[in-house]
Amino acid sequence: IMNVFGLIPIGLILLSTTTISSLQCNHLPLQQRKMIENSLQLLDKMGKKFPQQCLREKMSFRFPEQVLKPRQKEAVKVAIEEIFQHIFYIFSKNLTLAAWDGTAIEQFQNGLYQQIEQLEACVTKKQTHYFHSKEVNRLKLKKYFQKIDCFLKDKQHNLCSWEISRAEMRRCLQLIDNVVRKL
Amino acid sequence: GQTNLKSPQDIQVYVVNTNFTLRWNYTGSDTNVTFSAEYRWFEDFVTNETEWKELPGCQNVTHTECDFSSAITKYYDTHHVRIRAERREEVSPWSSTFEMNPYLIAQIGPPGVELQSTNGVIKIKISPPEANQVRKMWIAHLRFKYNLVIWENSSNAEFRSQSIFPTDTIDDLAPDTTYCLKVQATLPLDLQEGLFSPIHCVKTTHKAVNDLLCATDVSVLALDMKFHLHWNNRYKQHVSYNVQYLIGYLKKLHDDYSMKWLSVPGCENITDTQCNFSSIISTTSGIYYLRVQAMSEYNKSCVSNEVKVDPLITNEIGPPGVKVDISDVLLHIQISPPGGSESEVMRDHYDLSYRILYWKNSSNDEEEIKMKEIKQTIGTISDLTPLTLYCVKVQAFSEIYNKSSHYSKEECIKTPGDKILHLVILATFVTALIAVFLVATPLGFALYQAYNKIKYVFFPSCQPPLNIEGFGGQLLSSPYLSTTEEPIENCSIIETIITEEVNETDFKDYIHSKQSSRDSGNYSNDDTSGSKVSEEMLEKEIV
Repeated sequence: IMNVFGLIPIGLILLSTTTISSLQCNHLPLQQRKMIENSLQLLDKMGKKFPQQCLREKMSFRFPEQVLKPRQKEAVKVAIEEIFQHIFYIFSKNLTLAAWDGTAIEQFQNGLYQQIEQLEACVTKKQTHYFHSKEVNRLKLKKYFQKIDCFLKDKQHNLCSWEISRAEMRRCLQLIDNVVRKL
Repeated sequence: GQTNLKSPQDIQVYVVNTNFTLRWNYTGSDTNVTFSAEYRWFEDFVTNETEWKELPGCQNVTHTECDFSSAITKYYDTHHVRIRAERREEVSPWSSTFEMNPYLIAQIGPPGVELQSTNGVIKIKISPPEANQVRKMWIAHLRFKYNLVIWENSSNAEFRSQSIFPTDTIDDLAPDTTYCLKVQATLPLDLQEGLFSPIHCVKTTHKAVNDLLCATDVSVLALDMKFHLHWNNRYKQHVSYNVQYLIGYLKKLHDDYSMKWLSVPGCENITDTQCNFSSIISTTSGIYYLRVQAMSEYNKSCVSNEVKVDPLITNEIGPPGVKVDISDVLLHIQISPPGGSESEVMRDHYDLSYRILYWKNSSNDEEEIKMKEIKQTIGTISDLTPLTLYCVKVQAFSEIYNKSSHYSKEECIKTPGDKILHLVILATFVTALIAVFLVATPLGFALYQAYNKIKYVFFPSCQPPLNIEGFGGQLLSSPYLSTTEEPIENCSIIETIITEEVNETDFKDYIHSKQSSRDSGNYSNDDTSGSKVSEEMLEKEIV
């Protein structure tokens, strides 16, 4: 009996911590919309118009759009978090040959990172499980980013490979923007 | 043909990073038995029939496990593996096919750990699993979240688990104590917790003496997007401070960010224990870290703890401005949003709403406070009792951020009462009465005069004597044309003035009537009637 009484405060603490952590997440949808708007602007700002000479090297990466189909809202939220993580990773690589505006890149990365951190705290295990139920989508998403990673590596991170990647990431964020507005 | 060899069973594939190990059980006699495996994979999730190929690393193996890492390159595609036993010329049937997707069964390997014990804290540097590997299972290594487990190297020690950055400091430790720790890399979105690194044990040093120099209680006070850093210092002698900031995402990278701290403009070499760093917060999208470097005269310096700033979460909303206006039974409230120059940023990102509290300010303290929530900056309250002093105060709040401002100053206004209304009505009535009187009197008088004139013309009250009829006719007309004297009086005057004035008035009449007859065409309706009358007079005269 004494053990039960001892367990009650622990139970209450656990309960309160879960409720507290869920309370801090209501601002995420609005903040996410704003951050995506901001990121799209920064992507445009960091470099000049797409160079004509790079059109020859353009590749079709085929982003798996079904990952963002809002049939299951919860799974889409998790997919978006993973996409942000991949974009953050790509833009952390050697950007010297791209010759873009350093401040814009910093702000772009910082905005992505802020979202990633907050999503980490707010996306629940339950939502992650929804995402896992569609294994094929998860794998297609990873394949897509692996393709871009390999493409950059093969081209030794030269200007055209960066410009093509930037255009591709912009398209990706734009798709997310469309979905997020409807969520 | 027939064979007595049993086929291997319980095939298992064990994957850590890009290391693939095949394991199986063999229940038959294992003298001179070797095993060979085959595999095939399916590109892009399409299970069309592909050829089985020999599995490199698993040909003619004698143990019940083999490493086939060199064979697998497509980590996201489905693979099939099967194995059979062989003895001299005999081969067993193929085992059941083991289906696997490398990524889905792979485990995250242990990360690399470097430790440095200094100044009572442990500095830790983590290298990701697969660092320096050409082929990686976990391509985006920045996705890893590192989990540290640390405990005191004593009996009954408590395990403490915390999340750490690739380069981090563990500082809430007791000095001169041995601690043991281990780190694992995790991918929460993949529901993956990696293998732990080997356990490292290290002893903490004592804390340095120039600790007194360090700035303490470093905190952020942010109101309406104006950010201020405050700190304390117990150092007795002269200290100057240098406030530095770090762009948040740099902590997520594996690169050393110690050189990436920048000085906050306007907070370099200051003696004040506060700093306005609003200029650094150029956008609400992004996290920043702030710290204070204290420098003494003897070139000794100490860096304080860091504070994390997430602009919209750290910031507090200030009170809005309020103006009240009353009209009839409606109380109008005009709210000026908080933030001044930054009000647009705050309205945009916080999705602000306003909470209005209003109550009757009477001597009776038991008055109920009523509340109304609105989204716009203009509100109206309608259920008011007359002749009461109402007080209003407003608070701005953001539901999604769970933030609310302090209340604004109270603004009070009195509702107009019935008595005043009655007075107003009375005053309006009296004024109207006077106005009407002022207009009606001259109008009435004018009408009376007109009536008299008409009466005089058409119904003259005195008849001229027969012997002076001709003149009377003319002379009768003259007062009508030129004067407003009463006819009776004219009668008396005619007797006395006839001889003198006749010629003059005659001339006047002739001139007037001639003039009037000539100009009759240009006169208005009123005047033509006059001229007609004079013509009549002329006719009478001529006759």
